[in-house]
Amino acid sequence: MSGRFARLGARWPNVPIAGGILALLLLLGGIGVIALSSRSTAELTEQQTQVQARILAATVTAALDFGDTAAANEAVSAFGANPQVSDAAVYDRQGAFFAGYSRAGSPLPRRLGGHSPASGKIDALAPVARGGARIGTVWLRADREPVSRRVARYSLFGVLALTAALVVLILGIGQTTLRRANRELAAQAEDLARANAELKVQIEERGKAEEQLRQAQKMQALGQLTGGIAHDFNNLLTVIQGSADMLRRPGMDEAKRLRFAEAIARTAARAAALTSQLLAFARRQPLKPEVIDLNARIEGMAELLDRALGERIAIRIELEPDLCPIEADPAQLEAAILNIAVNARDAMPGGGTLAIATAAAPPLADGRPAVRVAVTDTGAGIDAAALEHVFEPFFTTKSVGKGTGLGLSQVYGFATQSGGEVHVDSHVGVGTTVTLILPCSERGSEAPPGAERGAVAARSRARILVVDDNEEVGFLAETLLRELGHGVSRATSGAAALATVERGRFDLVLTDVVMPGMSGLELAERLAAIRPGLPVILSTGFSDEIARSGTGGRSVLYKPYRLDSLAEAIDAALSLPDEIAR
Amino acid sequence: MSGARRLSLLLLAPAGLLGAVPAAAQPSDLAVKAAFLTKFGAYVTWPHAPTGPLTLCVVGSDPFGAVLDQAARGQVVDGRPLAVRRLAGPGGADGCQIAFVEGASPARTAEWLQALRGRPILTVTDARAGLQRGMIFFVIDGGRVRFHIDQASAQQSGLGLSSRLLAIALSVRTAR
Repeated sequence: MSGRFARLGARWPNVPIAGGILALLLLLGGIGVIALSSRSTAELTEQQTQVQARILAATVTAALDFGDTAAANEAVSAFGANPQVSDAAVYDRQGAFFAGYSRAGSPLPRRLGGHSPASGKIDALAPVARGGARIGTVWLRADREPVSRRVARYSLFGVLALTAALVVLILGIGQTTLRRANRELAAQAEDLARANAELKVQIEERGKAEEQLRQAQKMQALGQLTGGIAHDFNNLLTVIQGSADMLRRPGMDEAKRLRFAEAIARTAARAAALTSQLLAFARRQPLKPEVIDLNARIEGMAELLDRALGERIAIRIELEPDLCPIEADPAQLEAAILNIAVNARDAMPGGGTLAIATAAAPPLADGRPAVRVAVTDTGAGIDAAALEHVFEPFFTTKSVGKGTGLGLSQVYGFATQSGGEVHVDSHVGVGTTVTLILPCSERGSEAPPGAERGAVAARSRARILVVDDNEEVGFLAETLLRELGHGVSRATSGAAALATVERGRFDLVLTDVVMPGMSGLELAERLAAIRPGLPVILSTGFSDEIARSGTGGRSVLYKPYRLDSLAEAIDAALSLPDEIAR
Repeated sequence: MSGARRLSLLLLAPAGLLGAVPAAAQPSDLAVKAAFLTKFGAYVTWPHAPTGPLTLCVVGSDPFGAVLDQAARGQVVDGRPLAVRRLAGPGGADGCQIAFVEGASPARTAEWLQALRGRPILTVTDARAGLQRGMIFFVIDGGRVRFHIDQASAQQSGLGLSSRLLAIALSVRTAR
């Protein structure tokens, strides 16, 4: 217990000051009340003593008057019954002792006024009067306060002090408890903070690990991609190179020569489709939507598909007649169908059937009418786990070098960019159906394909400046343009082109976009300044700058281009020189 | 203890205790009685508050003589001076408020008391002269002058006696 008090004492300064002041006030108030009551008690006692003295005086009047000492003693002794009265005496007219009583038995003063004042005592004198005349005096001495009352008062003091002390004690204990609880709480909070910090570190580490994992996955994906692209490109390049080698041989008959040339053109087109897939995946290739007839496009792909899938796979095409036209990039549509078909082929290594069916589809979510083309194979099917990922870029179940993992993601990108949907339904061991749903076009149907193909001859002859930092590409462009009947000059940089234009007269400038020094876009701006009205065609395989800031209304010829697309672009630019120049 | 003994000695000694009595010599019983007579008036109320001096009459033989006059001198009762008259018999007692009655014989005393009965006069007798009791009856008890009180008789006469007086009486005869 003493230890507790010691602890409490040590913490005493921390007890709330308010509590201490309260206890002090309580104590002071109590003492004040007691002091007041004590004073009033003292006054009361004095008054009472005075009154008693008077009563005694009245009582002993006759006894004193008639000298009846016995009666006087009797009366005085009666006052001794009052515990407060310690001494009482009656003196006669001359002040001589007449009768008296002393509780302690001590001698009483012989003469009136012979008593010496005593502390804690109250002396009262009262005249004994008869008929208005003083015949004697009564002296009464009383205790200032009865012992019992004093004890009671002191106990009240004690109780009050005890209460005050208890208040302070309880406050102190409460404070201590509170502080301990606070400390525990603080400790817990600290623990929590520490745990939180640890968690943060762990999360950070985990994040780092995940980042590393992602990086690794990216590298893996890149490996797959480059592997796949290299494989595809190598195949295509083998065909092109082989065909070109064959063409160099002298004495080849015209039919054979044409076959090899076509093989080169076809293979290059596939290579172009491959790069455009990459760009479509990168979402950087703008779609060139046209209003097309789905059935006609599918029909037109029959031969390509036949070759692409090989002999062991039978192709069945079921086309529902009179479908609404759709609006889509035809090259992308064909690439999508081809991608689906190639996947189907790979799913049927032992052969099977590929069915392509078109039909009217239920309206899309936004209410537009739609058509669908479903490509169904009888292959291995895709398990549920893989099915979730089929549209993700670089996701492939094929071994490295066998695929890019871009096929179905291109399909997905094409479908969504065309405002449509794509669904995959697959059962392992039964086969897979990929369904493209494309919205109907509100515009009229396409012009019959091939109408422009024949018109490769230039409608007009023009002076054209070809600007390209790549010698081969520039030479090819020059060759193609001369073939079209135009007059051609070449420049290998923007500065050279400007100088050339200053010197001579040109009807059109065909410029590469990505060049060291001045870019094609910059060149176009400068040309617009010195030769307003001179049409400029931008040519690019891919340009960040065009993707970012656009062409400023100028026509763009995407590489790789072919003779007919080049002629088309030249003709369009020459027929609308003013608009294009702006 | 010696204090207590001294106190008891004091209590036994009546010397000097009677303020009205000259302290020169040991007062005689007679002197005490005379002093008493002069003091009774302070403890008595009369039915018709009399005015003028309070009259103390000695009816019949006068045992006091000059002692009484001496005791009464200067005495004032409720602001009224005390006058002493001496009467041969109850005949002229109408003006008296206090009457010390002592006939030549006890029979005479009884007769006079009878004559004064019912009148607002405090009658006082002395056992030394016979057993006829007035309203106050002096006796010697324990060597000291004491008195008996007949309160019933006083009440019949319309007198009121102070309880203080009754308190020091040897006995009080009441109506019941």
